[in-house]
Amino acid sequence: MAKVILKDIKKIYPHSGSSRKRSLFKRKKNEPEKKSNLQITDQGVVAVQSFNLAIEDNEFIVLVGPSGCGKSTTLRMIAGLEEITEGELYIDGELMNKVEPKDRDIAMVFQSYALYPHLTIRQNIAFPLTIEKVPKDEINQRVEQAAEILGITDLLERRPKALSGGQRQRVAIGRAIVREPKILLMDEPLSNLDAKLRTQMRAEIIKLHRRIDTTFVYVTHDQVEAMTLGDRIVIMKDGFVQQVGTPQEVFNRPRNIFVAGFIGTPQMNFFDAKIILEHKQYYLEFNKQKIALTDELNEKLAKTSVDTMDIILGIRPNHIQIGASDDDQVVEFEGKIEVAEMMGTEMHLHILVEDEEKTVVVQIADISEEQLAQLKEDNILKFGFDLSHSHFFDAETELRIQK
Amino acid sequence: MKTDKDKKPLQTKKILGRIGTIVFAIICALYMYPVVMVILNSLKVESAIQTSRAFEFPTAESFSGLENYGKAINSQGFLKSFGYSLFITASSVFLILLCCSMFAWYITRRKGIFSKIMYLLCAFSMVVPFQMVMFTLSQTADRLNIFGLRFNTPWTICFIYLGFGAGLAVFLFSGFIRSIPIEIEEAALIDGCNPLQVFFKVVFPILRPTMISVGILETMWVWNDYLLPTLVLDIKKYRTIPMLIQYFRGSYGKVEMGPMMASIVLTILPVILIYLLGQKHIIKGVMSGSVKG
Repeated sequence: MAKVILKDIKKIYPHSGSSRKRSLFKRKKNEPEKKSNLQITDQGVVAVQSFNLAIEDNEFIVLVGPSGCGKSTTLRMIAGLEEITEGELYIDGELMNKVEPKDRDIAMVFQSYALYPHLTIRQNIAFPLTIEKVPKDEINQRVEQAAEILGITDLLERRPKALSGGQRQRVAIGRAIVREPKILLMDEPLSNLDAKLRTQMRAEIIKLHRRIDTTFVYVTHDQVEAMTLGDRIVIMKDGFVQQVGTPQEVFNRPRNIFVAGFIGTPQMNFFDAKIILEHKQYYLEFNKQKIALTDELNEKLAKTSVDTMDIILGIRPNHIQIGASDDDQVVEFEGKIEVAEMMGTEMHLHILVEDEEKTVVVQIADISEEQLAQLKEDNILKFGFDLSHSHFFDAETELRIQK
Repeated sequence: MKTDKDKKPLQTKKILGRIGTIVFAIICALYMYPVVMVILNSLKVESAIQTSRAFEFPTAESFSGLENYGKAINSQGFLKSFGYSLFITASSVFLILLCCSMFAWYITRRKGIFSKIMYLLCAFSMVVPFQMVMFTLSQTADRLNIFGLRFNTPWTICFIYLGFGAGLAVFLFSGFIRSIPIEIEEAALIDGCNPLQVFFKVVFPILRPTMISVGILETMWVWNDYLLPTLVLDIKKYRTIPMLIQYFRGSYGKVEMGPMMASIVLTILPVILIYLLGQKHIIKGVMSGSVKG
């Protein structure tokens, strides 16, 4: 249990001699310097910057983002495995920047499990306690206890290589919790497991968090994991925090287009649209339709005193309906079905709207037999969505316009 | 359906395999021949060795039993030499294993220009032939005196062996250390180890298979080495076994072949034993299973 405060954390990986040479060589060949959009300064590659976060006692925080966004680096800085270039890290009010990993009272679960191959499972779990020189009886008792929580009691005398992936993951978690650390750090612990085991372990981690009073910091690139596990989610991209919030918040009110597209499967659809001002009323212009905006949006836009504005309209696939509607808040468009995927209770349609691919999720129970028959490849259908469900983003800044 | 074309390569493979077996059997026989000769002659009387009967199996009349072995052990201070050899080998191999594994771990994990230069120097030292440095080395060893510590005794020659053995050992160790996932060491750091504990509690045990193979290589080299101890040690006072064997050559060109053969057999025995015992322990795949599935 501990409060963790990250204040203006920044991480710069200095250029190594060889990489600088390589980039010079590359530039000669007119190749792009780096695939990711990480900022490159004279000092090096900026992996994380202006990271501010206060993690509460016993909270489950998930850092999520595409690969190379700096989430693992942030976790490793909390662990003390990476030096913090700038900023301050506090654990329970104590400045931790220069404290050795072993003195931070943390535990970490690695993606590759990182079990000690030469030790048995019992010795693996007991390892941190042996180093601490805890009395033998107590070690045994605590190892048994941890093994029981994770259901690996009968594996204790085996060696890591005799275990399956899921079992190894449990052992790695066991080794982490046996110390009763202030903070439990997890670096993509489920990525090496198959889909079924992953779902199962996800539930176990939730149970574990309820059972032991510890602050969890969890890194993943899987937004489903982030949504299901986290009390709060930190979404990162290119070293910057994009949004911090509860799963509900980031899903319902994404702060920008990146978050909107990253959270939720299938991905949110985006349409280019325009906002225009006529007689003190703002209208949405989309696909030759003109729809008056709600009062809330109207007021907000009135403050900005813009006349016209290019926007990006975001709508989740399950909020798109099939067929025309009389409602004046419904935006309509036509799309050609490219692929129809039957998922059992729902159907995923990949449709082409003006040469751009969009996704629609149709609940089979909500539509008639007749409509279902129409959902075939190459059919051109009318679709529509209610403006109240849609998200407005500024096309220029990519930031959310609504509250 | 299998056609003749499909079958052909398989047959050629078989034939090639057989030719390979024959070739390697011949090479093996060529290598074993001197060893067998030494063993056979160590069981014969002196007169039988010196004549053309040296290439025959011992007969009732030329068989001398273990007489030569007795002579070898009793004469010339064989046991003393054996002791020196044993001590030099054990201390050198111990030093090489300990220092080189630590050093290799450091230069592999600490990236930087220093590590790179050190690694290249180690690799380079394997290329330099001993004969190139032997004169300056023996002079240095004779004259060097660090606070009364001299390097021309059997008790300190291990430091010279450490220098010569380091190249190969560091090269092999760093190759293996590179294959150890760094997460294991990071996990140990988080679990409360200081760097020294990380090395001795985690890296050292994982390195065991490499330790054994490096150990065997270095043992064979140090045990059989003739030139370095001859140059560095005081020949009148200290004789290692390879030096001693040379002394079966008498001062007037007379060579006591029987005892010489016997002491050669006694000399190669420990190395062969160590190899056979060690081989059992070279377990590949100790690492498999520590990371991923």
